[in-house]
Parts: sequence; C-alpha cells; structure tokens
Amino acid sequence: MSIFCDECGKNIATVFLVKLAGSEISRLQLCEECSKKMEEATEAASLIALVPQIISGMQSAVDGNLQEEVFSGEPRVCEECGTSLNDFKKLGYLGCSSCYKAFGDALENSILEFHGSNKHTGKTPTKLSREARLRLKIAELERNLRKRIAEEEYEAAAAVRDEIRQIESILNSEGSESEKE
Amino acid sequence: MRKNKYFSVHPQWASEKGPGYPVILASRARLARNIEGIPFPPAADEEDLERVRGMVLESVARRVVDDEEWDIKFAEELSREHLSLLAEQHVISRSFVEKTRGRAIAARWVSGRGVMVNSHNHVKIFAIIAGAQLMKAWELADKIDSSIERDVVYSFDQRLGYLTSSPVDVGTGLRVSTMLHLPALVITGEIGKTVLALGQSEIVVRGMHGRGTGVSGNLFVMSNKRTLGLSEKDIITHVESISRKVAENERTARKILIQESKLAISDRVFRALGVLERARKLEFLEAVELLSLVKLGVDMEILPVADFSIVDAVMRVGNSHLKALKGLELEEEELDRERAIHVRRILDL
Ligand SMILES: [Zn+2]
Ligand SMILES: [Zn+2]
Repeated sequence: MSIFCDECGKNIATVFLVKLAGSEISRLQLCEECSKKMEEATEAASLIALVPQIISGMQSAVDGNLQEEVFSGEPRVCEECGTSLNDFKKLGYLGCSSCYKAFGDALENSILEFHGSNKHTGKTPTKLSREARLRLKIAELERNLRKRIAEEEYEAAAAVRDEIRQIESILNSEGSESEKE
Repeated sequence: MRKNKYFSVHPQWASEKGPGYPVILASRARLARNIEGIPFPPAADEEDLERVRGMVLESVARRVVDDEEWDIKFAEELSREHLSLLAEQHVISRSFVEKTRGRAIAARWVSGRGVMVNSHNHVKIFAIIAGAQLMKAWELADKIDSSIERDVVYSFDQRLGYLTSSPVDVGTGLRVSTMLHLPALVITGEIGKTVLALGQSEIVVRGMHGRGTGVSGNLFVMSNKRTLGLSEKDIITHVESISRKVAENERTARKILIQESKLAISDRVFRALGVLERARKLEFLEAVELLSLVKLGVDMEILPVADFSIVDAVMRVGNSHLKALKGLELEEEELDRERAIHVRRILDL
C-alpha cells in the first residue's frame, strides 16, 4: 500500500474509494484532483467512498473549506466588523473577536465538531496591568475616532481625540518610570 | 553578488542532532494571538495593521529581545528573495511572501525563535528546535507569549480561550509539530496504514514541501488537530508520543528492509548516490528524493558517505538558497546546474 495517488502517483492520496465494476470490487486511493476527475468520468453509483477523509483537514479548513453543511445559511453579520457568516464560509476567517458571539450556534457547532469540545482548559492570561488596560482603552478610542471622522461628526471626534491624548500623557509619564525596572 | 544577514544565517536546528535522530528531525511550537478591540488581520484595514505592528514590535523590542542576534523588520522592507528564503527555512508560510503590507517579523534566526506580526493572526509566536523536544519548543514560545502579554490585551474568552481568526486554532492557539524523515515506511508501503491511523488519533499529517498535501523526500510534518479542550501539556504529550511511535515504526521498517530485501534496498540507495554523483543538472524535487534515499543508505550503513542532515541539505539546495549563494538572476537551467554542483559539495563527492 502506497501513500500516493493511484492515478497520478504524485500527490498524497486523500480520498479512499471502493470501485464496483460488474462483480469486481477494487479499492482506490486518489488525490483530490484525480478523485474529481474520476468522479466526472465514472458513474457516481459505482464509486463508494470508503474513508472519505481529508488527511490535512486542518490545512484545508484554514484554506477556507470549512465544511459548509455545518451552517444553516442564515444571513448573519457581525455588527462590530461587518463580516458575514457567508464571508466566513467563503474565506475561512472570522473578522474579529465579536464574530464568535455574532455567529452563535452555527459557529459553536462547527467548533464543537472540529475540536470535540467547546471549553478552554489551557493557559489563561495573567491579570492585566494598568498600562495594558490603558492601551486597550486607547485602541478602542482610536476606532471610535475614525468612525466619528468618517461620519463627519467633528465635534465628537475632537472630544475623543482629547481623551486619547490625556491617556497617552499618563502612559508616557508612567512609561518612563517602568523603563527602569 | 549581494550578501547580507538573511542570506548567511542558517538555523541551528536544521543541522543539529536532537533526540530521535535521524528519524525525528525537529520540533516546532506556534502560538496564535490577537489583540482585543482590533479586527483580525484578514478583516483589518491598513491603519489597524500598522497600529498592531507598532504595539507588538514595541513590546518585543522592550521585553523579548535579549541580544544582538535579534532582527526586527517590516515585511515591506524585505525583498521577495529574502521572504522566499525564509519560507524555505520553514519560518514563514508561502502566503506571507505574497502579501507583505502591514506585516513584520522579529526573529532570532540562528535559534529559530521569533514573532510574526499580522499574518492570519495579529501575533504568531514560533520556536523551532532540533529533535523530539516539543515541550522545550513550547516553553520557548510560551516565554515570549507571556512577555508580550504584559503590554497588550489579547482577545480571550473565559469559555473559548484565546480567540483566533480561524476557529481551528481557537482555545490554546497552540499548534505543535514534529518533522520526520520516513523513507522506509514509504518504501515498504506501511505509510498508508500509518497515515490512516494518525487521522484517527487526531494528528494532521502533511508533506514538508510544496503546497497542500504533496510529499517530497519522505519528509513529513505531524501536528495536533485540536487546539481547544486540551491543556498545552496534553497537546504536546499527545503529538510527541505519537511521533515517537511513528519513528519506532520507521526503525522497524528499516530493520525489515535490511533483513528481507538487503539487495533491493542497497541497489536503490546506491543508484540514488550514483545519480547525485554524476548528474550535471538536478531539479529541486528530484534532488530531494535522491538525497532522502542517500540519507537512508547512510543511516543504514550501506553507503560509504559521511552522515549529513537531510533537512539542512534540502534547505541548501532550494532555489532561494542557491540564488542567495550564486546570484539572484539565475535562470531555471542554471539553478539546476548549481544544484547538482551543490549536492556534490554537501555529500563531499
Ligand atoms: Zn492524483
Ligand atoms: Zn466581527
């Protein structure tokens, strides 16, 4: 038994099939490409997927082929970043941390299916330092600032900008002290 | 000819002999993290990316960099050739070479440690070391992670853990892999069974070179599928114990080859050596396949050739490495000619 595709001999076989020709039963292992060609050329009924597993399931999920049937297809959009469930299905990437909440059950089910769990049991971040919290606040304000400017709310924008400057000056005075630690 | 730091640095892990040698070649740990309040890189705009880059690099420079060997670069500053070279060293992915905007790499190349900024996640911490030492690789990455965490707020959910742009990484954000050289399992055909069994143990297998699932030079990478619901230590122990089992199977397959088909395997590795000795041009994949067989012959004490590192040899005959060594403008045929010369040099023929 070789690891390579029976057809092209070049790629790793990822699709394992049983072929029925009359009373003859033969086993086939093919790469994705060749399996597609084979499916087109052969009567579908005569090919039975034996172990239709994709060896590099992770890779292809990252490449954006997360199993589509997992999702119901409702047009859900994350309010925070504008990514839709469809975008995610197509690209395989979520837009921001809020997407995890926005896509609810659809995402939850696929996570559960893929990882066999939906509860983190590993490392937990240490409590945030005051500095980290201030930086987080700045990041938030900067997003807010851009939104205000885009919507031409200049007065509100100026207020946000002042708030950012204020926090930055706190950070700067504290930062010079923490350099010495 | 242009020479610089990137072109002269060869990672130590590629030429060192670690535990598990010569079957398990290297261990790699990778942590994916994102900064709270900013869209993940696939959805982020340029300003977002640049802000993330500034925050992360500042933190790395302040808390992680511990000597002059560290190198911090915006990806836009690096030429395509530099980036391709790093991809050949298994440091960055091919997709990183294609798109550089807003990205950055901070790394200590010699020791195989570093941080990539704004690939698929804001922060990707990596550590690669020789042999089967996943725990040590993870500890190195984890240390960098904890340092950066003092300056930035990571996206973290009490239930789901670290939030990543792709849900396949969510939870620990940890992917550990071992690189293995498995020629005897491929020759005896046992590899098919092995790969199926690995799939059932939730281990992801792929070839070390090329895109997708192509395998060349009998070089394999095995990683954890799950990142959620297991502790970092569970993940590491699982991948390492399975890798060791596969390595044990490889050793058994080598013994069987010697006992049951000594003439056939001797013939095969001697032919490979013959071609490498005489060929005047070699394509990359051809060179990799033949080097793998010669390495097997050396490991099995069949060939009168000094021991060499297969992963280092493969790296050194890659297109980007040859261009770096010989000049950037080489045409394909000239590359094949240089490759043949270089292979003879590596094997001291
Ligand atoms: Zn094929
Ligand atoms: Zn979102």
